[in-house]
Amino acid sequence: MSLRDVGFEYVTSDRRVIRALEGVSLDIPRGTTVAFVGPSGCGKSTLLKLIAGLLTTTRGSVVVDGRAVVGPLKHVGMAFQNPVLLPWRTVLDNLLLPLEIMRENGDPRTPNRVAGRDRALALLRTVGLDGAEHRQPRELSGGMRQRVSLCRALIHEPALLLLDEPFAALDAFTREEMWELHQALGLDRAFTGVLVTHDLREAVFLAETIYVMATDPGRIAHVHPVTFPVPRTLGELYGPAGTELIRQMRDEIRPRREASA
Amino acid sequence: MSRANVRRLALPLLVFVGLLLVWEAAVPALRIQPIILPPPSGVATAIVETAGPIAFHARHTLVTTLIGFGAAVGLGLLLGFAIGASVTVNDALYPLLVGFNSIPKAAVVPLLVMWFGIGAVPAVLTAFLLAFFPVAVNVAVGLATLESELRDVLRALGASRWQIFRKVGVPRTMPLFFASLKVAVSSAFVGSVISETVASNAGIGYLMAVAASDFNTRLAFGGLFVLAAMGVLLYGVFAIVERRVTGWAYAE
Repeated sequence: MSLRDVGFEYVTSDRRVIRALEGVSLDIPRGTTVAFVGPSGCGKSTLLKLIAGLLTTTRGSVVVDGRAVVGPLKHVGMAFQNPVLLPWRTVLDNLLLPLEIMRENGDPRTPNRVAGRDRALALLRTVGLDGAEHRQPRELSGGMRQRVSLCRALIHEPALLLLDEPFAALDAFTREEMWELHQALGLDRAFTGVLVTHDLREAVFLAETIYVMATDPGRIAHVHPVTFPVPRTLGELYGPAGTELIRQMRDEIRPRREASA
Repeated sequence: MSRANVRRLALPLLVFVGLLLVWEAAVPALRIQPIILPPPSGVATAIVETAGPIAFHARHTLVTTLIGFGAAVGLGLLLGFAIGASVTVNDALYPLLVGFNSIPKAAVVPLLVMWFGIGAVPAVLTAFLLAFFPVAVNVAVGLATLESELRDVLRALGASRWQIFRKVGVPRTMPLFFASLKVAVSSAFVGSVISETVASNAGIGYLMAVAASDFNTRLAFGGLFVLAAMGVLLYGVFAIVERRVTGWAYAE
């Protein structure tokens, strides 16, 4: 996947033109995970929506698998800070929703009902929710819901997984568990991941490349490859190399915030 | 029945019976003429004596209410879906609906009578006019408040607008829809009785108007009690339906 000189502008209700993103060019090799970090308003989430085709670039182009993205990509997995499960469906039926839509749309990659169900149960087992398939979302804790949301994003085995602050609403310990879980899910599956986050540790733990963004206009300010081998451990993350990388990125983000404040 | 349920039913019943007793005692004690305010025992006698005609008129009111209500639910759903699904339709229609809803519907009854004559048609139409607004607004709100993240998750799977509407929009609107039914059925009931009172020859509203013009205060009060019982019953039925169908929307 590659982005070439991507820009995005929009007009606010009081007719100001906001340059949410400008001149973003980068390549994301298949099967790797990249993270975008930066202050609020730097266009991270917008960038994610441009990649998914949920928004259309006003400059430049997004190319996925050799084709320019013009409308919403099909077959993408997404998860957000808000797990947005359907409260009238059980956990299992929530997971099967993407497969239902693929089946209705005649997607040849749709597994049959039995295989789809097996896949859902296997995912639940991986995230430690075996036995929860017939429970209602309202009976689950925040961390459990977020795990279901992550499973829903992976059930159709997407080639592209887009995560927007997926763990931001969780407590620190649950969040670390989710990082390890997400890494485990990634080892079994060959998806390309794009992660948007405020949490620099999360980016270091999960991404192969980190893009530090800046505001006004939203743009890429720094690029950091993360060289720890995968799978990573929390020990490495909190070790000297991880801590040094986090410190460096924090310094890159902070002065801009103070200057703009 | 659980203790909490017994309490929920018994307490208001106790207060109701207490009020009736006070009323019964107050009429002779304060020397009120029964033609001005009959005691509850007199009202009860009137209801028993007139049970046949009351049943006939009650059935009539019930039927006109339910026809008007049914039509209101149909149109309310359609309008609500249209307004909730499209910002343009919302911008165009919502202000008009609010304007229309602020007309006191009793004022429309004479016009309806002019067009359709005295009888059940104006009653059905008044019931309809009063009942469709709460349905339309609730359905529209349910659709319009769909979480943008959920929409994005589904669009990124290649879901069409129609699929998002069916799989997510409609089910998540159902609690609001069923909540609106109990409001709408009460409104429809008010509408049909207003119209019956003004221009009809059947229905409890008509019965009460006739009783009042004969100075049959006991029967007029009898009609009032029957209306109250019917209103509570209609509301109760839809409140129970709501609980049954959309239990997921309530915290345990």
